[in-house]
Amino acid sequence: MKLFLQILLVVSSILLIIAVLLHKGRGGGLSSLFGGGTQSSLAGSSVAEKNLDRITLFIGAIWMICVVGLGLLLKV
Amino acid sequence: MLSVIRSALATPDLRKKILFTLMIVVLYRVGAVTPAPGVSYEAVQACQPDQGEQGVFSLLNLFSGGALLQLSIFSTGIMPYITASIIVQLLTVVIPRFEELKKEGQAGQNKLTQYTRYLTIALAVLQATGVIALATRGGMFANCPQDVIPDSSVGSTALIVLTMTAGTAVMMWMGELITERGIGNGMSLLIFLNIAARIPIEGEIILSNQGGAVFAVVCVFVLAIISSVVFVEQGQRRIPVQYAKRMVGRRMYGGTSTYLPIKVNQAGVIPVIFASSLLYLPDLISRLVTPETETSWFKRVMAEYVTNQSNWVHIAIYFALIIFFTYFYISITFNVDDRAEDMKKYGGFIPGIRPGRPTAEYLHFVLNRITLPGSIYLGIVAILPNFFLDLTGEGNNQNFPFGGTAVLIMVGVALDTVKQIESQLMQRNYEGFLR
Repeated sequence: MKLFLQILLVVSSILLIIAVLLHKGRGGGLSSLFGGGTQSSLAGSSVAEKNLDRITLFIGAIWMICVVGLGLLLKV
Repeated sequence: MLSVIRSALATPDLRKKILFTLMIVVLYRVGAVTPAPGVSYEAVQACQPDQGEQGVFSLLNLFSGGALLQLSIFSTGIMPYITASIIVQLLTVVIPRFEELKKEGQAGQNKLTQYTRYLTIALAVLQATGVIALATRGGMFANCPQDVIPDSSVGSTALIVLTMTAGTAVMMWMGELITERGIGNGMSLLIFLNIAARIPIEGEIILSNQGGAVFAVVCVFVLAIISSVVFVEQGQRRIPVQYAKRMVGRRMYGGTSTYLPIKVNQAGVIPVIFASSLLYLPDLISRLVTPETETSWFKRVMAEYVTNQSNWVHIAIYFALIIFFTYFYISITFNVDDRAEDMKKYGGFIPGIRPGRPTAEYLHFVLNRITLPGSIYLGIVAILPNFFLDLTGEGNNQNFPFGGTAVLIMVGVALDTVKQIESQLMQRNYEGFLR
């Protein structure tokens, strides 16, 4: 069980990082950080982006379950 | 004020945005207290260092909202993203290709953002490894009887690093979701939350250590500091710009007179972050390289003059660095030549000054003059907590959330967010928060 959760955690972590990186960045970097100009992107998200959202959410849920599950299992 | 909040909540799309932001915030805070798998929760709780002993970690801990010293899944905090943004921003000056991208407009900007995100993940791996290394070697929790990470095999350590890196990715995504669908800039909002989360704890420490009278005085001081920071943040010099009338086809364009706003504190809080990261760097390196017990002269000098917050040398270096970085950052972000060129292209001019090079020189002069009080103000606010040291007990520092970096960030982000809510509200009715 422990080994299974660990493997699942590794896989879901890597997938999660990839999924997040696949998103289009909307941060705008440092220029809008800490009180820069407020620019709003009016462009709506595409279908691909929406599906990617769902996939990321799904992987994120698995990842969280793994983290909590492993934490409970190890009980250290 | 209350009626404005009610009308903000009564507007359906604004309500949806605010609720969405709150939901992400709750998820984020849950993650910030979830320990990473393999970290002994009991040992971490038992070995929490005192405020004074945190030293080098206080800033990192501040930016992660206390998640760093909990060794939670979000313990890298937002720091990798900040560092990545700073690096990419600086590289636009050095690498011609980056400069090209920056000038390309939205498409180029998106590409730069994408680079920032890749770099964030790379830095997150580095920082997570550093955090684990410090924690296992006892650099983070000094004199801890139990092992913080019981199983210190390579596999288990790699698993923790991987989890923390994934945590950073999740945090980044949360920030972007808030920017996209919520209110305000997500990343800065998360930093704001991290700092705000510490206020009740700090207040309680002051109340229990010093009693009610001192607490009341501190509250008055805090209000005074916050209002003066707001005052300076909002201050700007308006340079009048006159646009010439032009005929394009049958339409008449221009002929308006506007102004070019130059804020007193054009650089925002970034110089403070630059300066404090630079000051913490040598100590962090010396901690990573040499074991805790060994004392070299380098380490002694660092501890005595550079990291000791109440030392005058530290305060002076910090102040000088902030002033330097303010000018440095403004010279990067506000290019007077480009600005003058743009104005000339669209038929604008500053009354009494010829377009082109004289305009650039004039802008340069005004910018430099207004930045001097701006940078001194930044420096004073940033070193303010060093004079409060005695109030919260031995050797407290930047962590004190009522002065310095914390107040600058909080006020900047709060003003920004309120302005954004306001502009949303304006679409429905005309009464807002700011009058």
